[in-house]
Amino acid sequence: MKKNRRLVTGLSCMLVVGMLAACSAPAEQAKPSTNTAGTSNTTAPANSPATAATQPEKKAVDKTITLAVEAEPVSLDPQNVTDGNSITVQRSMYEGLLTFTDNMQPVPVLATEYQLNANATEITFTLREGVTFHDGSPFNAEVVKANLDFVLDEKNGMARRSFFSFIKEVVVKDPTHVTIIANAPNSTMISYLAHPAASMKSLEVLKKKKADPTFNLDRNPVGTGPYQFVEWKENQHVKVTPFANYWNKEQAAKAESIVYKPVVEASTRINMLKAGETDIITKLPTLNAKEIAEDKNFNVYKAPSLNVYYVGMNLKLKKYQDKKVRQAMNYAVNKDELIGGVLDGYGTVADSAIAPNTYGYSQQKVYEYNPDQAKKMLEEAGLKDGFEATLWTRNSSEFIAIAENVAMQLGKVGIKAKVQAYESGTLFNMLDHEKGTDLWIGRWSPGTGEVDYGIRPNFHTKSFAPDNNNSGFYSNTQVDKLLDEAIMTANKDEAMKKYAEVQKIIYDDAPWVFLHVPDLIVAKTISVNGVMVLPSDTVIVNTAEKQ
Amino acid sequence: MVPMLIVVSIIAFLFVHLTPGDPIRVLYGNEIDAETYQKLKEKEGFNDPLYLQYTRYVGKIVTQGDFGISYRTKSNVSDEILRRFSYTLFLTLASMVWAVVIGLIVGILSAVKRNSLLDRLGMVSAITALSIPEFWFGLMLMQIFAVQLGWFPTSGSGTISHLILPSLTLGLGVAAIIARFTRSSILEVLREDYVRTARAKGQNQWVIVLTHVLRSALIPVVTMTGLQFGFLLGGAVVVEQVFAWPGLGSYLIDSILTRDYPVIQALILLFSVQFLVVNLLVDISYGLLNPQIRYE
Repeated sequence: MKKNRRLVTGLSCMLVVGMLAACSAPAEQAKPSTNTAGTSNTTAPANSPATAATQPEKKAVDKTITLAVEAEPVSLDPQNVTDGNSITVQRSMYEGLLTFTDNMQPVPVLATEYQLNANATEITFTLREGVTFHDGSPFNAEVVKANLDFVLDEKNGMARRSFFSFIKEVVVKDPTHVTIIANAPNSTMISYLAHPAASMKSLEVLKKKKADPTFNLDRNPVGTGPYQFVEWKENQHVKVTPFANYWNKEQAAKAESIVYKPVVEASTRINMLKAGETDIITKLPTLNAKEIAEDKNFNVYKAPSLNVYYVGMNLKLKKYQDKKVRQAMNYAVNKDELIGGVLDGYGTVADSAIAPNTYGYSQQKVYEYNPDQAKKMLEEAGLKDGFEATLWTRNSSEFIAIAENVAMQLGKVGIKAKVQAYESGTLFNMLDHEKGTDLWIGRWSPGTGEVDYGIRPNFHTKSFAPDNNNSGFYSNTQVDKLLDEAIMTANKDEAMKKYAEVQKIIYDDAPWVFLHVPDLIVAKTISVNGVMVLPSDTVIVNTAEKQ
Repeated sequence: MVPMLIVVSIIAFLFVHLTPGDPIRVLYGNEIDAETYQKLKEKEGFNDPLYLQYTRYVGKIVTQGDFGISYRTKSNVSDEILRRFSYTLFLTLASMVWAVVIGLIVGILSAVKRNSLLDRLGMVSAITALSIPEFWFGLMLMQIFAVQLGWFPTSGSGTISHLILPSLTLGLGVAAIIARFTRSSILEVLREDYVRTARAKGQNQWVIVLTHVLRSALIPVVTMTGLQFGFLLGGAVVVEQVFAWPGLGSYLIDSILTRDYPVIQALILLFSVQFLVVNLLVDISYGLLNPQIRYE
């Protein structure tokens, strides 16, 4: 009986102690974790028990770079995904004619040069020679045509079909020259073709798909990238290893393999990094970024994303028709306070309608926080006592926090905004069909990373809801004219001048309250080098190396 | 069981078809024009009356074991479910081992040492374990045992050590329920005449508890454990997310969010079957515990 009593006491104590320990754990988080990283390294290769004992094996395992990403890829077919996470996983396997630099400028990859014709309706690529796909088949003009024709064919049901709808025809001139003809003049098509969605798949897999409709392109990626596909274990990982015949010896793979693990919960990703189970984690919450940044075992990479957050206003409503009111609202919101309060400081003030890393961005003079100026301008507009408004927002915690902060700040100058949160699908529907649109918190990121995609859908008269995203019904003939001219201008510098002019007019017209551009935050261990993060929310590890 | 299944399948079918959200849009994207939309709708059979769609659906299941093709991944639903089912089953079994072992020990000891400090401690721990959110508890276990001590991997799957933290997280709440049920059930039985008789003849208390009392006291506990087992088999969404465990819970959520009808239907059916089977097993176990219970 004594023994039993002890057992119980022991058990109960364990429970209680466990709970107490758990309670006090957050305070201990900051402890340097050099030790634990060492211990967990030995538990890491658990899938092969034999390796645990031998030392040299450990080194081999170390050369694998692991990324904990925020979700499982939707597909490994670049023409069938629209989310940044899937693109991150695909990036080491694929290449396109062009790619983006870290400020979203298109540069050649599988093409060596390109030429836009004078009226911006055709673009001709000279292709790189000696490039082979992972299956050994060659890259040439036929491959480019087959890929684009495949995505454009409605029957294939590719998610990126509409993205390429500007293409009228793809013409093969000779094995190393291909011309893409657009439906209408479109100087921005260079950016479309630099997008990861324009990555090239092997002609062989496309043939296989045509011969056998059940062949699954989503799971059989064959590209020209420095890494080739090994396996995709459902909800566990995607693994790639170096491709021996990669054409660009200077940019060849340096890691033994790359493993992408889907881990939905951000806290778990952070714990994995601390325990040494992963080298890189994406989508680090701002709340944890500071703590990780202070730990000398890790680097935190932050850079402005392509997302612009704004308060949209329905210009059909009388209260917003006076430019002074709209500018007053821009003066009334302290953007820095918003960034500090909602994003823990991880963001920058939106100083144009597009984010700083967008190709074609032109910086404007920010409406510095000035509540007195705001009140004065409201008074001049005949709204001395302010007015009432409804502020719609999506129901995610981030959006609600922003909406509440904005409403509070507007309240200080007499604009009483009532926050109403909706599920995003419902909100878009309400905005599309103007079901009582007043103010709303919006977010826009140009899919191509260039200025036209950032401006046209939001501010062109032809983009009025429900056809596109101009749900505030902003209309300015000068803006329309400049946008239409710019897209037809083949000369890049001239086009960019017009886009800069457009940005100036819009920022001054203030059809939005321009809020902020959040940072992308990615953390990695110091032992991994050569990680690149694109503002488009893609993490590139093609040339990453582990020491 | 069979009429139950028919009812469940009808409900699953209707439920999924009457909720808002358009599977054609999910399948083929938002950008298709009105004409293509109609064509595709016809092709997928969404224009047929509901009863026809239903009989076609059930027919395929019964004759070919075919639950259809997932809208999202375009692969066979039964394959996808099978692949994840083993993960959920292992996680559930491991959690139940924790739950039963901890729950029974705490429950029996608390009952026998009623009103002692030990009893109080046990029951306070049980209430605490019940009230702790799984999400938080899981992260704390991870923080201590994976990050600080490095004994187990933080998350993922593949080995026994991957299983320990998630199963403990999941099992603790159930252990608390079992402990409380066991305690009250034993206390009730302890008042029975035959227990008094056994005591009167000078039998050792532990022998009484373990041989006479536990048998009848366990019946409500077994019922409850069975129910909990059935629940856990339905996939533990929170724990699976926290520990990146590739089970059915996260699969169900993903499928609901993307309106992957065939998967949702198949999962609802699967969960119902599991529940029915578990309940049947529970009923059978009554007979083993107490031979007086017979099924006519």
